[in-house]
Amino acid sequence: MSAFALTSGRFVREQLRAPLTLVLLIAIPVFFVLIFADVLGEFSKALGGTLATQSATAISAGWSAAFLSGTLAFFMVSSSRAADRRLALAGLGPAKVALSRIAAALALGVTVTAVAFLTLWLRSGIGHPLHALVAIFAFAAIYIGIGAVVGALVSDPLAGSLLVLAVFSIDAFSGPQMTSAASGVGTYLPTYHAANLLIAAGGGQGSPAADWRGVAAVALGALTVALAAFWLAARARSPR
Amino acid sequence: MSAAETTSRPPSGLEPGLTREERARALGECPAPGHCVLRAEDVRKSFHRGVWPRRRTVEVLRGASLMVCGGELVGLVGENGSGKSTLMQIVVGLLTRDGGIVWQEGRLGYCPQLPMLWGKLTVDEHFELFARAYGMDAGARDGAVGGLLVELQFERYRGYRVEELSGGTRQKLNLALALMHEPRVLLLDEPYSGFDWETYLRFWEMSERRREAGMGILIVSHILTERERLDRVYELREGRTVQG
Repeated sequence: MSAFALTSGRFVREQLRAPLTLVLLIAIPVFFVLIFADVLGEFSKALGGTLATQSATAISAGWSAAFLSGTLAFFMVSSSRAADRRLALAGLGPAKVALSRIAAALALGVTVTAVAFLTLWLRSGIGHPLHALVAIFAFAAIYIGIGAVVGALVSDPLAGSLLVLAVFSIDAFSGPQMTSAASGVGTYLPTYHAANLLIAAGGGQGSPAADWRGVAAVALGALTVALAAFWLAARARSPR
Repeated sequence: MSAAETTSRPPSGLEPGLTREERARALGECPAPGHCVLRAEDVRKSFHRGVWPRRRTVEVLRGASLMVCGGELVGLVGENGSGKSTLMQIVVGLLTRDGGIVWQEGRLGYCPQLPMLWGKLTVDEHFELFARAYGMDAGARDGAVGGLLVELQFERYRGYRVEELSGGTRQKLNLALALMHEPRVLLLDEPYSGFDWETYLRFWEMSERRREAGMGILIVSHILTERERLDRVYELREGRTVQG
């Protein structure tokens, strides 16, 4: 087994050994898709939006993947920073540690995506399953980036987790899908294109090429940022 | 961890009648019979704390220097907050320095003051990961780990997760990870905190055996009661080292 495979595998194992994490991996998508979706629809109407129940159900699967991936990525950096730096210093190097961390984060992101996708499928069916799967994974990838960056920059676990939650809340409740604004600042939110894809896929509609290009660019950008954040956390540095 | 930076020799022109140690110090050479394996010269470090308008700069190291030779046990003492751990982390490469030179020869082992471990991984999984980082094959790893588990007497905890271990056993793992690749230079930051008396004595026996085998060892502590076991002691005062 290569050093990369061994390290990534151990990093995944480290996360999955927390019993609460395992419970939340199932409970959060179920909660979001079965309960939160209805609330999301009502909330959208209150904000002047027109999010139909089916769209709200679809998008809530994406939000569950985003929330879980973001918090997992944050705690992955926050709780393991010291040991990761020691391992890098022992000879593995910050780049290999960062690659192993992102591989572990992606493996968890795929797991979260699968659970969210299955919950959505069982709840309401999906018009375009493949499109929906890609869109949910994009939500997860984007929040791996956000969680990792917050973890690398904010060392305090409480402050960091609140910051991830704040970004998530702004992203979830300020997008054009939730409000009446069809354009403006909301279109620059990180999950704007992924949300469009997921809503369209849930209703069995195709999506314009611009959304596909947009989601690819944002998700790849987020993963690149995540890699840089994991590297930043594993290297020698000046303390804050 | 073998980044080496060359240092310039101070000019000679020595007073006659100097002892070997005084002469070596003046020449920037090792006072012990072995050759130098670690040298830090004029290391400076400041930390910036707080945010404007309460931002302040704390100057921790103002030109700290030390030297460790092969086959030598050296102590580094100082009051709480004197910068011992900062100096250690700079020497190891965990922290960047503002100025000065750090030079080291061969493989380095580092035992941090607070165990830097993954709470949910087992003792064996830690050895597995660090062996890979040190470039050890399975045979070398098993041999080294087996010996250390017996020496430090914690073989029955191999399958335990770190979060399930007592503070003392965590510290044993912390130390074993620094020793498993038989480094040329060993840096120990308060290595025996949490050890019981027997383990404490065993720790010194282990250190002395390794010194006899040619390892250069630097031990950091805020109080060193075992000065007779050490070849030399540096004291950190106001950011500078003074050899005691």
